[in-house]
Amino acid sequence: MNDLMGIALVTLIIWVGLFAYVYRLDRKVSRLED
Amino acid sequence: MRGSVILKWLLLVWLAGVILAAFFYVHPAEGFKGESSRIVFFHVPMAWIAVLAFLISCIASVMYLRRRDPKDDIRASVSAGLGLLFAVLATVTGSVFAKIMWGAYWNWDPRQTSITILLLIYAAYLALRGAVADPERRAALAAVYAILAFVTVPFLVFVVPRIYWSLHPDTIINTRGTNEFDSRYTQVLMASLAGFTGLYIWLYTLGCRIEAIRHRRRQEVL
Amino acid sequence: MWRLLAEALAVAAKDLRTEFRTRVALNSLGLFAVTVLAAVSYTVGPYRIATEDRPFLLAVLMWIVIFFAALAGLDRSFVKEEESHTAPLLRLAASPLAVWLGKLLFNLLLIYLLLAILVPLFCILMGYHVLMVGQFVLILALGGYALAVTTTIVAAIIARALTRGALFSVLSLPLLLPLLIFLIQGTAATADGSLEVIQSTVRAVVSMGGIMTIVSVALFPAVWSD
Repeated sequence: MNDLMGIALVTLIIWVGLFAYVYRLDRKVSRLED
Repeated sequence: MRGSVILKWLLLVWLAGVILAAFFYVHPAEGFKGESSRIVFFHVPMAWIAVLAFLISCIASVMYLRRRDPKDDIRASVSAGLGLLFAVLATVTGSVFAKIMWGAYWNWDPRQTSITILLLIYAAYLALRGAVADPERRAALAAVYAILAFVTVPFLVFVVPRIYWSLHPDTIINTRGTNEFDSRYTQVLMASLAGFTGLYIWLYTLGCRIEAIRHRRRQEVL
Repeated sequence: MWRLLAEALAVAAKDLRTEFRTRVALNSLGLFAVTVLAAVSYTVGPYRIATEDRPFLLAVLMWIVIFFAALAGLDRSFVKEEESHTAPLLRLAASPLAVWLGKLLFNLLLIYLLLAILVPLFCILMGYHVLMVGQFVLILALGGYALAVTTTIVAAIIARALTRGALFSVLSLPLLLPLLIFLIQGTAATADGSLEVIQSTVRAVVSMGGIMTIVSVALFPAVWSD
């Protein structure tokens, strides 16, 4: 696996991780609102 | 499933697709050293969002001064926080790009100067908010400062770059009207812009909801 | 309209009288300017910079001293009202616009006084030879105005904040940076005679000063009122 694929993978992981975090936060906020 | 949930999952897939496309679907562009042209897919949308967030912050500020609705103040401050985040990201990605292309992380070329001033504006805005205790005073003063900062920006963006030679690559749609990049590049760039805008909208609405809850809690305590 | 002018002049006159009694702003401005000028003159002096770099580097140094002196002293006009608790009285006594204009006049006077003393001294001590003196003075006058009008509204904003001194600089700098860049370029152009740069600088500084004035007039009541 070359460098480019490595960077792509890391970027992807960062994005998915970020998404998961914000999504959980969103769910928590929705619960608080109801 | 509710509409907003679908949209959020769509965003996940969309930006994941953009990331993959940026690395595997697009060929490195001419005139760029090595693979550095790939950074542009992230750097440009981040800079765009930094500016968009500033715009929204200013519009919300004007609205606040007109109707004194606390929600407008919330919108202004949330957008400013996000704007700062994206401005920092844009600066970082930009300097990585600069390092690859021209050997130095920082050159003070007009675009780098402009993003620095935007960063300073955001930092100043948030510092001001932190220094005023009374909520209504804080909202009013912050709104005024946002507008003051906004009127300074056109001078930077339009005038400073013209005066001296810039290292910064010309904007994609350049003055000659021809595209320097192939269509794949443009597609992915547009897709990335759309995706980042979607991300901003999500973070912005989420931030406003959180602040609204905090605001409500404070009112209840009083 | 005359009433506005009369009120504004009254505000400015009161500020001037107070200032000459206590000399706080004059001291801050003056001390800073003289100290930095002495330091620069001693360490750099008129000989150390190569001829081709002189127009530009000396312009940079000069405007840096001016700007930082301004940031040291120009928040005084509003801060002193808060410190001496005379602000509420002022709100009752004069219309917001008159207060703004009066404070602007006061700051303008301070800046022009600073420029009148500092700039000739700087040119003498540093050996700054300016080719187009008329344009040089014009740029100083316009730049001084833009500087004053921006710092006046920022001073009003920070007057009731918690960390005034630092906040004044932090808030002013992003607004003043574009102005600073233009002024430096324009001044350097007067030293080596590039007319188009001077013209574009004058245009830019006039527009910045003008826009700041209009926006200040529109927004000052929101800052000043309770």
